[in-house]
Formats: sequence, C-alpha cells, structure tokens
Amino acid sequence: MKEFIDYLSQRIEACKEEIAGLEKSGRQDDADFAKVRLNIYTICRTVTDALQDRPGAGAGAVKAQLERFRTEWSAALDRAREHDETRNSVVGEVRMEALGDVIAHFPEEEK
Amino acid sequence: MTQENALRIFKSLSDLSRLRIIQALMQGEMYAELLAERLGLTPSTVSFHMKKLEEAGLVLSRKEQYYIVYSLRREVLNASLLDIAASEPEQIDEQIKREKEYRQKVIDAFFEYGKLRSIPVQRKKKQICYEVIAEKFVPGRVYTEKELNEIIGSIHEDYCTIRRDMIGEGILSRNGSEYVRIR
Repeated sequence: MKEFIDYLSQRIEACKEEIAGLEKSGRQDDADFAKVRLNIYTICRTVTDALQDRPGAGAGAVKAQLERFRTEWSAALDRAREHDETRNSVVGEVRMEALGDVIAHFPEEEK
Repeated sequence: MTQENALRIFKSLSDLSRLRIIQALMQGEMYAELLAERLGLTPSTVSFHMKKLEEAGLVLSRKEQYYIVYSLRREVLNASLLDIAASEPEQIDEQIKREKEYRQKVIDAFFEYGKLRSIPVQRKKKQICYEVIAEKFVPGRVYTEKELNEIIGSIHEDYCTIRRDMIGEGILSRNGSEYVRIR
C-alpha cells in the first residue's frame, strides 16, 4: 500500500503544479477543473490513510470505498447529463477520470 | 446591447482557453472534438467553454449529423470595444431584480434536478418552493388526490405535508378529494 499512497501523493503534487500553471496563464476555469482532480486524489489518500491500518479494515475496505465512490459519482454524472448541466457534467467526467486512474493504480495483489 | 451582455462578453473572453477557441474558429467553423484535439483539451471541457461563449453571444452552434459545429458571430466580434463598453443598463426595476435574484437563489438551494432537497423552514422560502411545485399543475384543471400525490411525490417524498401547506398558502383549493390550482 505504501507505493499506492506515494502514487497518490505524487498526483496531488502534480495537480497543485498544474493548477498554479493554469491560473498563471489565465485559464481559471481549467484550473477549477484541475482542482476537482486534486480533490479526488486528496480524498482517496485520506481514505487510504484512514482505512489501511484500521483493524478489520485494510486494503479490502479501501477498495470497497473506492468502488462506492465510483457508483455514487457515476450516478451523479448520469443525472447531470440527463439534465443537460454542462458544468456539473464536466465536473463529473473529471471526477470519474481521476477515480478511474486511482483504481487502475490500486495494487494488483490487494484487489 | 445591454450592460449585462457586455459583462458576459468581457467575462467570457477573460480566459486563455476561450481566447484560443476564438482564434481557432477564426480559421473557420469547427466541431468540438476537433477543437479539443487542436487545443489539447478534453471534449467535455471544450463543451463547457463553448457554452460560455454561446451565452455571451460570441459563437453559434448547429447540429450536423452526430456533431455540433461551432462558428463565430462576427457581427458581435466586429463591434468596437467602445461600442460594447457604452452599452446601457437594462431598464429593470431594482426591487424586482433583487426579488428575482433571491427567488432564483432559493430555487437553486432547495431544488436539484427537479427534486426538492428538503422543505424549507422559513415561510418565504417555502412559498417560493411551493410556487415552483405549483407549475406542475395546470391552473383550473381538476386533479384527483391520487394524481396530486403522484405529482408532488415525484418532487418530494413528503407529499402529504406539501399538499396540506399548498392548500394553506392558497396555491391549491380542495373540494372533497378534488384539487385545483388557484394561483
């Protein structure tokens, strides 16, 4: 799990740099979407930190929580698309993309 | 052009990604996927930016088979900055405007995708929410209690409280088990 947490920490730092760059070049809306990505990686790291060593929890509980996020956020994205909410749709897509990346990096042996 | 339109134009252009989209469209009309590819943005992000530009009246869109094709509204973009800056404020009574804004704020806070999140405690907010629900009913048409419950129930689970309150607020009138929207 240490590698996974390191990966999340790297993504968090990369997002912070991306946000600073976008804001500096006057791309505020794109920076806001990058903040959504940053938020996802931060949430995932917090969940992993909290659950990995908890008795009776561990990697299985982390994976289960990530899957719960996927279900909830996917439903929220469908709702936004259904109601033609452009901003919420983009936010939902960014969120799902970042979560997909996180799940793809979840250690194979823990899945 | 009103001052509100002018502000929308300036706001929409104060973003590098949107400026780059305008630059790309100067070469000719383009669909979102191609714009995304050229600018290194995701198609959904491009759609978001296009919506802002459309709201500002700077671009036009039309559907062509599976794609949405965008083009510049040159008559707007060719206007001088001075002409845009000299635009007049819209003649709306300030009080009406404030009330309209407050109403919208309440609606945004309490409704999500047509569902009422919770019944407001404050009477004024409650009235606004019930007026929104009332729009689901055709004025003058008689509804059975079952029909009424189904319509309100599709917006919030506590249809009994809402039905009772809407009668109390004089939005609905009840005659036995028949209901009519009266305002």
